[in-house]
Amino acid sequence: MLTDFSIITQLTLSGALMGLVYTLIAYGFQLTYATSKSINFGQGELVMLSAFFSLSLIDRGLPFAVVVMGGLLFGTALGLVVERTAVRLALEQKNEGWILLTVIFGLLGFSVAENLYGRDDRPFPTPISADAISIFNISITPLEISIALGVLTIMGIIELFKRRTLLGKAFAAVSADRDAAELMGISATRIIMLSYGLSGMVAAMAGMLVAPITTVGPTMAAALILKAFAVAVVAGLNSGMGIILTGLFLGALESLASFYIGSGWREAPGLILLILALALRPNGIFGHAVSRKV
Amino acid sequence: MEFLATRFRAKFSMFKRLLFIRGAELLVLTLLAAMPVLVNSTYALGLLTLLAIYAILLIGLDVSVGYLGQVNLGHAAFLALGAYAAGLGVSLLELNLLSALTGSLLVGLILGALLAIPALRLEGPQFALATLSFSALTVITLNELEAWTGGAQGLSINRPHLFGWSLDASAFYWLCLIFLAVVWLIMRNLLTSNWGRAFEALRDSPIASNAMGIGVYHYKIAAFAIGAALGSLAGGLYAFNFLYLQPQSFTYELMVILLLGVVLGGRKSLWGALLGATLIVLLPNLLSNRLVFQIVSATGLLFSIVTINRHDARNKPFQTFPPVAAMALLLAGSMLAQNIEDWRKAIFALLLFAVVLGLPDGLIGFITRFLSHLFRIAPPVLATPSPLDDVLKTKLAHGETLLEIRNLKCYFGGIKAVDDISFSIHSGHIHGLIGPNGSGKSTAINVISGLYRPTAGTLLLHGKALPHGSLYQVARTGIARTFQNLQLFGELSALENVMLALKDTYHCPLPLLLLGFGRADERRAQADAQALLALVGLTDYARTPAKNIPYGAQRFLEIARALARKPDLLILDEPAAGLAQPDVQRLIAIIKQIHQRGITIVLIEHHMDVVSELCDLVTVLDGGKIIAQGTPEEVKRDPQVIEAYLGAAVDTH
Repeated sequence: MLTDFSIITQLTLSGALMGLVYTLIAYGFQLTYATSKSINFGQGELVMLSAFFSLSLIDRGLPFAVVVMGGLLFGTALGLVVERTAVRLALEQKNEGWILLTVIFGLLGFSVAENLYGRDDRPFPTPISADAISIFNISITPLEISIALGVLTIMGIIELFKRRTLLGKAFAAVSADRDAAELMGISATRIIMLSYGLSGMVAAMAGMLVAPITTVGPTMAAALILKAFAVAVVAGLNSGMGIILTGLFLGALESLASFYIGSGWREAPGLILLILALALRPNGIFGHAVSRKV
Repeated sequence: MEFLATRFRAKFSMFKRLLFIRGAELLVLTLLAAMPVLVNSTYALGLLTLLAIYAILLIGLDVSVGYLGQVNLGHAAFLALGAYAAGLGVSLLELNLLSALTGSLLVGLILGALLAIPALRLEGPQFALATLSFSALTVITLNELEAWTGGAQGLSINRPHLFGWSLDASAFYWLCLIFLAVVWLIMRNLLTSNWGRAFEALRDSPIASNAMGIGVYHYKIAAFAIGAALGSLAGGLYAFNFLYLQPQSFTYELMVILLLGVVLGGRKSLWGALLGATLIVLLPNLLSNRLVFQIVSATGLLFSIVTINRHDARNKPFQTFPPVAAMALLLAGSMLAQNIEDWRKAIFALLLFAVVLGLPDGLIGFITRFLSHLFRIAPPVLATPSPLDDVLKTKLAHGETLLEIRNLKCYFGGIKAVDDISFSIHSGHIHGLIGPNGSGKSTAINVISGLYRPTAGTLLLHGKALPHGSLYQVARTGIARTFQNLQLFGELSALENVMLALKDTYHCPLPLLLLGFGRADERRAQADAQALLALVGLTDYARTPAKNIPYGAQRFLEIARALARKPDLLILDEPAAGLAQPDVQRLIAIIKQIHQRGITIVLIEHHMDVVSELCDLVTVLDGGKIIAQGTPEEVKRDPQVIEAYLGAAVDTH
């Protein structure tokens, strides 16, 4: 009985910590959805390409801090490229072509990665130890703790930026009412660019945080991104911090599902939750409906 | 004589058009059917079979991508489900060929409808996500239910007999071709009927669709389920073609290829789907030969440069040059890449990118424009208008109470937009509803027409309670409305906007409609709609997409469309807003004509001259309450009304 309990606790804890990575990617979706009502369907490839880029920096023997900075910059740059070449082109025509264009961008990124870096998975060396520490019979690795810290730190910094700086307030203004913000002299285009840049940076952070656990390969983010979508939709694309709880919950749930039902079903809970959430609460559990006006 | 000559020319141009379109269909079908006899190659036969299957698949995908205008990432899953349904039907239930294929079709229809229920409330990214998740979930399920599907090992299938015959490769090809021909005919009949227009209307304005009695709910489910059913029918044929299935064949990459086929071939077109299918089938050959690939990408680059519109290039360079850049990148890649096959995903991506931005109508759009220019094919002749008396029967109005509003309240949080109002609208009246901005006029109208649910109160039409909070149900009781912020179906022509809304016109039941018996309805609808367009003076814009007609004309089109509902009560929400003075005079004349036909009108308006000239009674709202009621003259003199509009005289004690 006791062992059962400790297995469940163990699975829940390590699953939940992994779930924070979904939260982080979902946070990236929220950032761009707030400003432009669009999200990057190729975000998974952004995660993967940034991980590959930072791996190549590690291969050059650069210090870890430089690797992290480089990875974040690279992600930001990719986010800006996606915004300029895919999203803005479609938003200018006021249609939903951006979905297709970002899907296309993801596919292009995938192809580039598999040709430049190869199709094999490669380990991502990190100075943080993967040796488990045992607390109350539950083992946890510094690596897992680093994920939680990394996620909360970068989200905290961006939230502070949004709340405490003038530019961040402009960000909130565009989210609330794009037209009104433009009348106040805020360039919505710039803010949307900024949101995509930040979203890319967040994706890069997620890539570097999970890489030591999942290893780096072209398909590393394929499953990850579906669950990030699930977290974003279940919590609500415009709902703020509900994504943290949802991420923890989904991570724990799928870790339990994969243990008790079978590892092949690992991705299923997220997908089912996503469809259910869309069916029952399209604005998310923590989201709010936007009333229509004619 | 001259009259006869005109008629003859009209008949001749219609005949020429039919000859071209039907002729092309027959020619292609004959050619395809003759192929196995003409070309003696198993490889070519395999490609042709695949072509027929993919064409059915893409016609299905086009319903959601083209007509509903949604990015559907779940179609590959329906292909898979149909394929496995057919395969398991044969291996577990020992079904014969046709029952197995029927099974595939039903699986798609039912699962499509089930998925549509959550997806139907969704737009844009949420819809794409729902279908994407469904797709991933399907692959997981097929992989994990090893006991039935054989999991990743795959499932082998024997092709069952058809009425006792064992089908060889060419017989199976002909079977696929027959299915394609039937699907083609059925879908042509469906998509050129009011169903096709309804599908497009959902995309442009769900609110207006409901308000015009086109239930968004039903049509969206139907559209998605039909598309899914075709996808899984194609899946059944796919299973009997390859005789071996693996979940890995139905991945995200296949989905992107299918989207490429629809978009590159051309949306909202059966020919586009056929063309797209041809391209998909030829893609692997294209990638395996470097020289062919170089020639194709060079042609693509040339094409993208030639089709640049100079005007656009100067004004919005960023929307004009990306296709060229993508094609140039493709050509450069074809020179440099060591193995072209390795870059297949990037190639799909660049092609799709160029097409989405540079050729939104697809290849078929380009070809159609080119051919109709070359052979001078005129657009189809429109029906002559029906007599207006047949369309809008004159009603007798005795001034009895038509709509009674009792203690109506509508609160948004703490805001009392409509605060306990009661008044009646008498039949045959033009009833004005005026008040300063924010006085609650629009909210009152939105509650009556069902867009908002009232917080409290009673609404009685002909003494019967009106449904609450459903535009669609209210629309079916005989109330029609226009919208202050225009809600036209932008991509549909002016005529189609009116045709779509026509009430009591489409009698042909769906099964007969699919078999092509809907044409009489269609002709009458066209004639009736023409009569309504003539009433508001828009005959010249009949063929023009609503988004391209001038602003004033759009306002009139809204009125014509609402009249197509043959309403007892017509609600006009600020019809004169933004109109130039001559148009305001036209509007007054039109409203008078409608009024003469015995239709009761509620008119919300800011132009006091319009209100004075037209209205029998005026209700004045301020702050969500009624402050005055009476004839226009009485109301204008009312001190409370003057105060509401001009502010109170400063009262200094």
